[in-house]
Amino acid sequence: MFKRIILFSVNKPKTIIAGVIVLVILGLIQFPNIKIDTDPENMLSEKEFVRVFHHDVKKEFGLYDFIVLGIVNDKLEQGVFTVDTLNKIYAITEEIKDIDGVIPREIISPSTKDNIRQGGPGMIVFEWLMKEPIINEEQALMIQEETLDNPMFKGTMVSENGKALCIYVPIEKKNMSYRISQEIKAIVSKFKGEENYYITGLPVAEDTFGFEMFKQMALSAPLAGLIIFLLMFWFFRKVKMIIPPMILAVVTIVITMGALIFLKFPVHIMSSMIPIFLMPIAVLDSVHILSEFFDKYQQFKNKKETILHVMDELFTPMLFTSLTSAVGFFSLSFSHIPPVQAFGVFVAFGIMIAWLLTITFIPSYIALVSESSLKNFGHVKKEDENHSLMDNILQGIKSFTIKRSKLIIALSIIITLLSVYGILHINVNDNPVKWFSKNHEIRIADRVLNKHFGGTYTAYLIIDSGDKENEVFKEPDMLKYIEGLQAYLIKEGKVGKITSLSDVVKKVHYELFDGNKDYNIIPKTKAAVSQCLISYENSHKPDDLWHMATPDFSKTNVWIQLKSGDNQDMDEVISQVDEYFSLNKSPYTVKHNWAGLTYINVVWQNKMVMGMLNNFIGSFIIVFFMMTFLFKSPIRGLISMIPLSITILFIYGLMGFIGKDYDMPVAVLSALTLGLSIDFAIHFIERAREIYAKEGNWEEASKELFGAPARAITRNAFVVAIGFLPLLASPLIPYRTVGFFMFCIMLVSSIATLFILPAIITRFPKVVFEAEKNSMICSCKYCMIISFAVSLTIIYILRGYTGAIWTITTLISIVIVVLMSGICSKLSKHKICIIDQKEDK
Amino acid sequence: MKKNVLLIAVFSFFFYSGSVFSEPTVQEIVNKANNVSFYQGKDGKASISMTISDNQGRTRKRVFKILRFDIADGGNQKFFVYFSAPADVENMVYMVWKNVDGNDDRWMYLPALDLVRRIAATDKRSSFVGSDFVYEDISGRSLELDTHELVSSEQDTYKIRNTPKNSNEVEFAYFDVYIRKDNFMPYKAEYFNKKNKLYRTIEALEIKDINGFPTVLKSKATDIEKGSNTIIEFSEVEYDLGFEENIFTERFLRRPPRKWLK
Repeated sequence: MFKRIILFSVNKPKTIIAGVIVLVILGLIQFPNIKIDTDPENMLSEKEFVRVFHHDVKKEFGLYDFIVLGIVNDKLEQGVFTVDTLNKIYAITEEIKDIDGVIPREIISPSTKDNIRQGGPGMIVFEWLMKEPIINEEQALMIQEETLDNPMFKGTMVSENGKALCIYVPIEKKNMSYRISQEIKAIVSKFKGEENYYITGLPVAEDTFGFEMFKQMALSAPLAGLIIFLLMFWFFRKVKMIIPPMILAVVTIVITMGALIFLKFPVHIMSSMIPIFLMPIAVLDSVHILSEFFDKYQQFKNKKETILHVMDELFTPMLFTSLTSAVGFFSLSFSHIPPVQAFGVFVAFGIMIAWLLTITFIPSYIALVSESSLKNFGHVKKEDENHSLMDNILQGIKSFTIKRSKLIIALSIIITLLSVYGILHINVNDNPVKWFSKNHEIRIADRVLNKHFGGTYTAYLIIDSGDKENEVFKEPDMLKYIEGLQAYLIKEGKVGKITSLSDVVKKVHYELFDGNKDYNIIPKTKAAVSQCLISYENSHKPDDLWHMATPDFSKTNVWIQLKSGDNQDMDEVISQVDEYFSLNKSPYTVKHNWAGLTYINVVWQNKMVMGMLNNFIGSFIIVFFMMTFLFKSPIRGLISMIPLSITILFIYGLMGFIGKDYDMPVAVLSALTLGLSIDFAIHFIERAREIYAKEGNWEEASKELFGAPARAITRNAFVVAIGFLPLLASPLIPYRTVGFFMFCIMLVSSIATLFILPAIITRFPKVVFEAEKNSMICSCKYCMIISFAVSLTIIYILRGYTGAIWTITTLISIVIVVLMSGICSKLSKHKICIIDQKEDK
Repeated sequence: MKKNVLLIAVFSFFFYSGSVFSEPTVQEIVNKANNVSFYQGKDGKASISMTISDNQGRTRKRVFKILRFDIADGGNQKFFVYFSAPADVENMVYMVWKNVDGNDDRWMYLPALDLVRRIAATDKRSSFVGSDFVYEDISGRSLELDTHELVSSEQDTYKIRNTPKNSNEVEFAYFDVYIRKDNFMPYKAEYFNKKNKLYRTIEALEIKDINGFPTVLKSKATDIEKGSNTIIEFSEVEYDLGFEENIFTERFLRRPPRKWLK
């Protein structure tokens, strides 16, 4: 059937090309409908508990995501507390209130906050901290004193050294943050003086990333295209022959992205990388075809015959390499992370589109090229000159691997063990702010502000008594318990600032008692607490109380500020809190839970790590099946998996050793590695077996094997590795990470293939080369391996798609293994096998 | 009720006979409205139940009694606010000496802390015990602070626009008050912010004559921006009980005059 397709393509090239044009147009008309989604929160499904909880908490406590505008003056003794700077802050706040999407009444700034203070003997004052622009330094000094004396402001709105002040700008929706941050920047630029202004906050980082991401997408995919073009020009020296793979790559990307947009998937951080992934992968098969066509054309001197011959020779390996790559990506759909699923499925789709185009469009194109223009194509000598160095190296590798096969195997084992050790030290961590390079203004703002303040990363610890009758969080014991928790967390050092109901009660209490610090304590009775709180409610902003407690006082929200948005640090705080709760018994039964963006990032990240491990195992098994089928032996299947397994172990081991964080992009890479680097093994073993069948001798066969086939593998590795290099120029760290690791993966896996496989073949030539004397099913041993793999696959699929629990899946798997072993032993005694065995004897 | 309205009309006739057949001046309207709202009788007493509802529909309740003593109509006054619920603020007391020409004097007594404190009243726009009413809504905003302008005079309503003389002191740009022509009872106030947007309203939901005085029995303050509102309901309203001025002193904060609080 596929033969017919190829024949059709060669005979009716115009039809094929017309079809391709129609598909491209269909793809292109989808582009205006593109939807963009840069919110990492969408890494979790909307129904995910933590997201639902986070949104409920935001609603219940009237909380908003916020942008942080920091104003810093290190030069002056009094820092930002000068008439000039404070009046600027006043004016800036007024202008920020007018920005569309900002919630003016929830802005935290000196002019929007109410303060409680002493107004003379026996008198307390509720007044705006900075009601209007000030006129003298005394007022500035007074504002400084008051903010530093208020636990709600110190470390949150003003830094303890008075050098910095933060305006917290709450916004309606996170996806407005980039626009709003730009508007704030424009406002601030009008007020520039000797103080410095910084904008940060997770929403800004996340939204700005989205903005930069699209710049990158428009930049790096074409750049990759250009590099691949140059590389191929270097290999083939014939622009006419390089154009079709380039067209193919572009067409693949247009169709895939068109389909993605048509099916209403938003373009997320992950899916924005689809073009850059497809570009090098799409041209791979055509590189093989062209490489072969290039070599064989002078032999046939007829383009049609040549292409038919080439297609016939390469059809199986091409199909399998495409399928394995597609499976590697498709396995991402097993993750429970929607954007990763979309990414995996569409890259897999794109790979299969590229494959389809390779077997139709490429032959059609060649059929249309005039014979005369191919006259000088594939000048053998020239090619040899170009690659003599490569050939020398490849031949060197050959002799080395055969002579030192034991050493190589031993080294591989040592590297594997070391890698496992490295993997045990891998650091799972991510932080959206760190997606920007060190000198990006967001990173600078992050550093400066977190140096001065309790922290710009927010998490909300919600403590719930479940008791709607008794106002548990007015109980002095409960407030003291929270006070203790605060002290504990501050002592442990990861948390910069905590604000809770206890702070409000204590502040009001001591102001009521003439500002005497001895009264900076939780009062003894519940009625006293209530009366402190109702006094607080006489301020201009009584509703600030409901950010910290529900009106029935059954729940409280403890606002925790971290200096770092690293998931690791958040994780540590989570366990510190758990520790406090287990070490100290709460006076009332309470449950606690977390909300806030910093926490949400931790949740999806943990999901991602486990998810990716799951994917990897799944695609490993599926690829193993395919290899067993392709090589007609499970042992050969296993052998073909060795180089890529070592590559993956090595890469992740390396990461553990150099201390590179295992973050989102890194997690995704494992599945890719599998799909891409198995290609080398497929080509290598396929060709090795072909040549061995011809030569009948490994020594001889290896020489030829390290000729054209090894060259194709090396070229392949180069195209992919270098194709990903433009990502290194990106200012966005995840893109750089992907670029760097793809480069390493290609390098390591091609080296692993070229060294380890020949070494294994040298030690166990029979296993690799000799045809099975009887079909696979006759060997009980092999049959068992396969049945074991089948049950693993079932476990995997059941767990991946239905979320079934272990016990059920294990039960099913055990049944399958038993059943299959029965079938195995029966089959191995089957007539065909008995005859085969007799013949063997 | 009609009779009472008539009485007031007759009453007005005697005092403002010169203006019966023509429109009263703006100053006359606001003065009368001010008296009707805050100075009925020589003194007064009411039980108040306050329900604060936030934008999520969660409610909080406060119950208290108010005693009022007028030193002069349209002039200085003294108030006592005694809390009885919620239970944990029972016996909490606020006392206000309203000074038309200057800052009010305010005290509070917190029984659980056995503490009397003066509250500096530099600003009367702070919340009244966490509700959507501010102090000024309860005790009355001094007429001297605003300029008044008659925006419209419909069939039975005057609409007066009040613009603060010192706009920095308050959060609103101006507020419109709707006043009934028959009894000069204000029944709605609309507050506009500096962007000319309506953000807050106060409405009288129920007005009744008590002892001959038109009296608001139910009133609602709505914060449109926040989406919250507060309803206060008056009961046991009485006028001219004859308090002595000397019960409105610090001494009585700790020992409320039981006689008047029954």
